[in-house]
Amino acid sequence: MKKVSALLLSSVMSLSLLSGCSSSKDSIKVAIWDNNQLAGLEQIADDWSKDSGVNVDFEVLDWSSYWTMLEAGVSGGELPDVFWMHSAYSQMYSDAGVLLDMNSYIENDDAIELNNYYPGITELYNSNGTQFAMPKDHDTIAVVYNKAVFDKYGVSYPTSDWTWEEFAQISQEITDKGKADGVYGTYMNTGSNQSGWYNIVYSFGGSIVNADKTKSGLDDAASLKAMKFVADKILPTCPSQDSMANTGGDTMLVSGKIGMYLDGSWMANAYYSADNKDDLAWVEIPYEDVNGDGQAQKEERVSIYNGLGWSIYKDSANADASWSLVSALTSKEGQQKQSELGVTMAAYEGVSEAWTQSFEGMDLSAFSDVEENGTLVFRPYTKYTGRWEDAMSTKLISAWNNPSTMTDVCKQIAAEMNATIAAE
Amino acid sequence: MKRKLTRKQKTEAKWGLIMVTPTLIGLLVLNFYPIVQTIYLSLCKTGDFGIGNVFIGFGNYIDAFKDPEVFQAMINTFKYAIVTVPIGISISLVLAVLLNRKMKGRTFYRTIYFLPMICAPAAVAMVWRWMYNMDFGLINHALGTNTGWITDPSVAWICVAVVGIWSGLGYNMVLLLGGLQDIPKDYYEAATIDGASGFHTFFNITIPMLSPMLFFIIQTGIIGALQLFDLPFMIMDTTSRAFSSVKPITYLFYEQSFIYSNRGYGAAIVVVMLVIIGIITFAIQRLEKKWVFYN
Repeated sequence: MKKVSALLLSSVMSLSLLSGCSSSKDSIKVAIWDNNQLAGLEQIADDWSKDSGVNVDFEVLDWSSYWTMLEAGVSGGELPDVFWMHSAYSQMYSDAGVLLDMNSYIENDDAIELNNYYPGITELYNSNGTQFAMPKDHDTIAVVYNKAVFDKYGVSYPTSDWTWEEFAQISQEITDKGKADGVYGTYMNTGSNQSGWYNIVYSFGGSIVNADKTKSGLDDAASLKAMKFVADKILPTCPSQDSMANTGGDTMLVSGKIGMYLDGSWMANAYYSADNKDDLAWVEIPYEDVNGDGQAQKEERVSIYNGLGWSIYKDSANADASWSLVSALTSKEGQQKQSELGVTMAAYEGVSEAWTQSFEGMDLSAFSDVEENGTLVFRPYTKYTGRWEDAMSTKLISAWNNPSTMTDVCKQIAAEMNATIAAE
Repeated sequence: MKRKLTRKQKTEAKWGLIMVTPTLIGLLVLNFYPIVQTIYLSLCKTGDFGIGNVFIGFGNYIDAFKDPEVFQAMINTFKYAIVTVPIGISISLVLAVLLNRKMKGRTFYRTIYFLPMICAPAAVAMVWRWMYNMDFGLINHALGTNTGWITDPSVAWICVAVVGIWSGLGYNMVLLLGGLQDIPKDYYEAATIDGASGFHTFFNITIPMLSPMLFFIIQTGIIGALQLFDLPFMIMDTTSRAFSSVKPITYLFYEQSFIYSNRGYGAAIVVVMLVIIGIITFAIQRLEKKWVFYN
């Protein structure tokens, strides 16, 4: 028995050693973390393969395994040829010098002109003049609501001229009327940051991190006011924090347990594939009437935005072919296709309209309208975003369960964030 | 005085070495080298991706001993081990004894109890996560309650332990069944003739004869419980208010090393755990002589 298992173990070990090193010349390995985008991206890559004769292999991992894989890959000196970059980790990876310097490629490529992309994304993936990733897409936040819930309780559908105060009122109304059925107005857990309370903080004029990324902004008066609004007006209309830690907001919305929910454009595809997709509709994110003139100024309506980048491994055996693929994916034509196929909105300015109309029967213009009559704020980040962002959603659990302590908890978090950022 | 080996013994030794070489190389490359690396890392302030590590001596260990989170995670881990190991083994022992008799559907029951063992742990955890769900879960639905099984700090750790016990039952049971079948029937026959009750034969024959197998299961069980990682991580959401009271030490290591990119500190935590497991294993080995019966 022992001998057999020892033999088995050792053969498994040697097999796994062998399979570690395999990279053929005429195929490019691409790693991504979002399965929803796979089909569309594969289609663009297939078109490119027809011209170039180089195959593209996609590998999809979930968010945390993806970063574990990349990190292990950097230490081990073996990375995919092409992979996604994200604001939470980009600075770390560019500082480590594992990403291909794209400057000369960009210069020699007629299809690429950096000024055509959203500046926040181009800037994010640029370190001291070196472009280490090409902008892939951008995402914004809007409110998705379940019409069946609104109809059932006789609440009129929200329109884009609403304030956060009105959002809270509608949410309260649904909560009151739906009490007997266990239906709530909305959902906002501690971890709903980019697609949740971050937006409220910035539309109130507050911030999460200050402009030069040296200090927390969570203890600013405006931020504290926003968080107090969340505690007093939003949380009482949400399911209990326990419920929210049990079930995700998207599940609750689709199954009619909540009326409306803030979510990002990257989730549109998931809602579109729901059985009851005809019940779901999108409306622009509310604004906060900071100056009290009863109208929405551009800076009063804020959507956090973020954009992924396409990076290339510096020591890739297929660097030139990899660039050619990235160029095909990020050129105006590629971005247009990405938009039309309904993969995501484009990082290339002005070609995202096609995306908002690419889901027949579901109007997604709420995501692009906010760019006209609102402000896009880039998702707050520092070099080690993960260190404070994760701790933040854990610390907020107590405030969520005991909303009257919100201000104190936020001040504590800000103090700890300052220490974490200072140690970077 | 050194005894000279005969030629036959020499050939045998040579072939023995050749035969164990693959395993030996595997162990050295995949186990011992990483252990040495981890210990070195734990003495460093690490840069990203292992670039720019600075040797700082015991700084990480001092931080770890001052960190209440480390302390809490240790308590969580031991609490889990203390509950799951004895209960899990007792239940599997009872099951093994029951299924060792001649009875109808014996193979069927054996298969049923072994099934959890062949399911992927991640799949098992996902199913339990839905059963425990507060609003839509099967358990609350069946009981007509509204308990936050995986969010209420007073019950969440028990719920995780239940899954741990349940998924380990089959493995322990099969090992114990094997042990039971090695016990010669004569002992039981003699005991029956002498008029011993089932209770007496169990404690005076079964347990002592089974003690080598029990010892093995207890030892691997304790080590396995102290290395718990996947269950809480898969069953609970990190925004659950009970998570801090369930979070095991290996999760803390994962969080520091991979989410916070703090490799050195993560390594220090895991080395402390390694030492503790080492001490416990050593203590159990010493106890072995006291109660394990080899015939």
